[in-house]
Amino acid sequence: MTEASVIETSAPAEGVTETLNREAVERAAAQEPTWLAERRAHAWDVYERTPLPSTKLEEWRYTDVRRLLDLDALTPAPRPEAGTGEALLEGLDGLPAGLRAVMAEDREAAGHVAIVDGCVRHVDLSDELARQGIVLTSLARAVQLHPELLEEHLATHAVPPEEGKFQALNAALWADGVFLYVPAGASLDLPVRVSRWLSGGGLAVFSRTLIVAEAGARVSFVDEIVSDDLDAQSLESSVVEVIARDGAQVQYVSLQRLGHRAFYQAAQRTLAGRDATLDTLNVSLGASVARVDLNARLLGPGANSDMLGLYFGDGDQHFDHNTSQDHEAPNAHSDLLYKGALDGHAHAVFRGIIRVHEGAQGTDAYQTNRNLILSEHARADSLPNLEIEADDVRCSHGATVGQLDQETLFYLMSRGIPQQPAERLVVMGFLGEVLSRLPLGGVVDKVTRAIEVKLRHG
Amino acid sequence: MPQNEVIEGLGLDEYKYGFVDEEQHVFRTRPGLDEEIVRQISAQKEEPEWMLEFRLKALKIYESKPMPTWGGDLSELEDTLDQIYFYVRPSERMGTSWDEVPENIKRTYERLGIPEAEQKVLAGLGAQYESEMVYHSLKEEWEAQGVIFDSIEDGLRKHPELFRKYFATVVPPGDNKFAALNSAVWSGGSFVYIPPGVELDTPLQAYFRVNQERMGQFERTLIIADENSRAHYIEGCTAPVYSTESFHSGVIEIVVLPGAHFRYTTIQNWSNNMYNLVTQRALVHRGAAMEWLDGNLGSKLTMKYPSCYLVGEGAHGSILSIAYAGDGQHQDTGGKVVHAAPNTSSTIVSKSISKGHGRSSYRGLCKVYEGAVNSRSNVECDALLINETSRTDTYPYIEIEEKRASVGHEATVSKVGDEQLFYLMSRGMSEEEAMALIVRGFIEPIAKELPLEYAVELNKLIELEMEGSVG
Amino acid sequence: MSQSPILKISGLTARVADEDIEILKGVDLELGEGEIHAIMGPNGSGKSTLAKVIAGHPGYEATGGQVLFRGEDVLEMEPDERSQAGIFLAFQYPVEIPGVSIANFLRTALEARLDGDEELDLFDFQDLLLERMEMLDMDPSFAERPVNDGFSGGEKKRNEILQMAVLQPLLAVMDETDSGLDIDALRVVANGVNTLRKEHPEMTVLLITHYQRLLNYIRPDYVHVMVDGRIVRSGGPEVALELEEQGYADWKDKEQEAAAV
Repeated sequence: MTEASVIETSAPAEGVTETLNREAVERAAAQEPTWLAERRAHAWDVYERTPLPSTKLEEWRYTDVRRLLDLDALTPAPRPEAGTGEALLEGLDGLPAGLRAVMAEDREAAGHVAIVDGCVRHVDLSDELARQGIVLTSLARAVQLHPELLEEHLATHAVPPEEGKFQALNAALWADGVFLYVPAGASLDLPVRVSRWLSGGGLAVFSRTLIVAEAGARVSFVDEIVSDDLDAQSLESSVVEVIARDGAQVQYVSLQRLGHRAFYQAAQRTLAGRDATLDTLNVSLGASVARVDLNARLLGPGANSDMLGLYFGDGDQHFDHNTSQDHEAPNAHSDLLYKGALDGHAHAVFRGIIRVHEGAQGTDAYQTNRNLILSEHARADSLPNLEIEADDVRCSHGATVGQLDQETLFYLMSRGIPQQPAERLVVMGFLGEVLSRLPLGGVVDKVTRAIEVKLRHG
Repeated sequence: MPQNEVIEGLGLDEYKYGFVDEEQHVFRTRPGLDEEIVRQISAQKEEPEWMLEFRLKALKIYESKPMPTWGGDLSELEDTLDQIYFYVRPSERMGTSWDEVPENIKRTYERLGIPEAEQKVLAGLGAQYESEMVYHSLKEEWEAQGVIFDSIEDGLRKHPELFRKYFATVVPPGDNKFAALNSAVWSGGSFVYIPPGVELDTPLQAYFRVNQERMGQFERTLIIADENSRAHYIEGCTAPVYSTESFHSGVIEIVVLPGAHFRYTTIQNWSNNMYNLVTQRALVHRGAAMEWLDGNLGSKLTMKYPSCYLVGEGAHGSILSIAYAGDGQHQDTGGKVVHAAPNTSSTIVSKSISKGHGRSSYRGLCKVYEGAVNSRSNVECDALLINETSRTDTYPYIEIEEKRASVGHEATVSKVGDEQLFYLMSRGMSEEEAMALIVRGFIEPIAKELPLEYAVELNKLIELEMEGSVG
Repeated sequence: MSQSPILKISGLTARVADEDIEILKGVDLELGEGEIHAIMGPNGSGKSTLAKVIAGHPGYEATGGQVLFRGEDVLEMEPDERSQAGIFLAFQYPVEIPGVSIANFLRTALEARLDGDEELDLFDFQDLLLERMEMLDMDPSFAERPVNDGFSGGEKKRNEILQMAVLQPLLAVMDETDSGLDIDALRVVANGVNTLRKEHPEMTVLLITHYQRLLNYIRPDYVHVMVDGRIVRSGGPEVALELEEQGYADWKDKEQEAAAV
């Protein structure tokens, strides 16, 4: 009777559906250690009491999730079977053709991970790197093999569920993901490459990435997600936690080329210790809606973060990049550059904030957002913010929205280049500046090709 | 009234909610706000029925809108609003006594060299007769050209049709909570009309008019610059203005008709107990130009974003703003430009200085609607931080729906460089003098746009403010 | 002129797009193949406007007259079509294009000259580019730099000459190429033009300049004086020397007299 009255008096929490509910969380936690099961349950509590973001919230002002995402129509993708180890991981042959094609584009790598609908299907890492103590494995397996590391870092100090509705949902329901651990002083010369595939419509996919680079370690990580166009909306939710201890050097690259109707939601947080370098590049080319939250925290003196972003929207694509640079220690440096071009009816939002906390003297922090509008109906909103609570700082931000410069077009045409190729050339040059600042092998070519395809079709 | 009486250790806090009580019988409403009070205000002013209805409607809107959660900290304001008197007849407002003017403000008057009579005006006591003479001769000159420069009440009484045609068309009551409040209880302010083709060389100074009838807490100003006219309106002053009232919420509406050119300069230096929440907006028609020159030096919290809605082809809007936030102050200021017609252009230049625990925030909007082709907008914000504890924020909103538009925003934050200070000190200046010189240089691009006497006073003020800034 | 002119301008009037003021007020000019012509004139005389109108700058509008290039009216052609027909404009202020390398830029320009199914052989292109750069005494790394981005004034002008050398036009219009150059840079640019001329004697050159200085390095066959939107005098190289001595003042006075009549 009391239960019934509870049900009557409290409205069902927002975002709880027939398939996204407490039972699903309990199923996910069934075979897991207590600490993890409790963490999931807690995350679900947070999810239930957090309202779905509305455009009244400053950070969601231009992205109406309530209109753009239909959670009721989604079913969580199947999870890996409980207790699966690497034994069940398949060879490359069993993978979807689209994913194999993406992997074939990759050049050499220190190791590969292939993921289908959030579940790891293949992992390889060279023996030599494994001998150095480097760990590259699925998150599901890491729970068994490295519980102490996961208990310390997973959804705790980087992206806890309290960060927001989607962060809580992911922490409660994540199926699998990637765990990369690089011990102190170890170094990878080639990037780790992760290729993800989303297989169809109607799915809700939750995966996480945890990268821990101990003091002086060096690693780069390329995270690519691809799909065909979908017949119905799917949610691809990704949480990325990157921890660079003192003096570590980490590069994280996300390359999003999902198909039409995908709703991509990513929450990334980077924690940079003393003198650590933690650079990120987010490339958004695909999906119907892409919302990326990136928070770089500079926690140790002398920490450094370059934050690069590139987007190219056409059709009715909607991109929303929400970044923050938190300077919590003195003498740290961060430099953000996000550039985008918009064609068709595309709409891009950039919201960035530099927060210089009290006592973070000697901060250098920069933030630049530049947008090129290529069509009559495209739209760009830019909100570059500063909050400065220390005086010995060098901070600046700039934002521009404009069209292709007519003088530049004339210059190119006066050399015999017709208008459309001339426009393509300028757009590529405009966006290329971002790639040239993080020239990881393979990424530049891949992105350049993908943009060229979009430009020709646009 | 006793003058120059020193009252040691008198803090501003004691005046936070204080309205000085007089023994005389005067008309004022009871504290707080409801429909009855709005009716009383309207009746007291003998207003036409439509204005009463307008006020009542605005009151409903005010009551239905939540307090803004952005901008400055308004958490203490709700208590204040429960306790203030929403209407006091202007002639009875001069009940402050010189004794009650805080010592630091008196001291500032002295050091700025403001004449005694003028000090009293600034402190809300009495009127200055000399300036009234000047005002009258100017007024005759203006009247000969058909210029109307009256109190807002007289505007409504004497020019009902013109008034009604434009009133609340630029800032409707539903615009924001405080515009709604002002719409319900407005009292005082100016009504200005510049006929077609009339060009005024002498600025219209609200200062003159205010002396006759003290500016209310809920001032309302309506200005219409008719086609191809040109004029400059100045409101406020650089010297600190002491008021026992702790809440000021004005609405300024300006209609700049085709081809007209209008500049509105406002300098506020309210004492540090004041919440100053003002809506200033201009509707700029074809080929017209509007310039806001906005200086915010005083108050506890100011939230003010002068706006230009560029609704006619080729319209131009410009906003120049200076903000100074000393200890305990928050200046949340900036500007808005909305491009709603082709070939429109706008610039915003904002300079802010934060000292001690002061906080200055730039908040701005640049919006270009689809179809506003060949629109151009440029925004520059520079913030200067004097102390380790000072704070600055920049919150621009850039919303662009048009391909053929070009919009740029740049902001920098800096502190006064040690090298700069050392260089000046090596030439024999004290650190404070050097600091003041650098700060003056920082705001110079905007200060030079001010009328000379304002610029001179602003410079003196900065020198005073920089004292004790070092170390 | 013995054969038919490569460029024939007659009665050309032009203005800045969307403005009412005519800048060119009836220009007549004929350039024979392989000739070098110089147009001199004071600031604001319209000589740069003439260069831009020939190349099809969208900011200018021809309001009357004709510009025939090899007998074909170019005023109706797009800028890229004019370029492909063989007209080259060396800009007074070359435009910076961040992120686009000179090599990529020139490859795209050459590809645009090919028929639909033809493809540019990348190795041939590399060879051509290197050879041209060597001829102009340029460092090969220059080709990888973004077009004019962060270039000095001299580097920008050399880049213009490199493009001319790669695209090999029939008519090179050089719009105040000498402005802002020191004497060494001026010599380098002039040497480049002279080297190209040696290789292609049929290339016609139209020099637009304010000063006589450039003409010491590139010797014109004909010199025209332009004042207030019209050619007011044409002659041999001696005209430039006269101008050097007397300045433009005389011509301006004459113009004003003429206008007063």
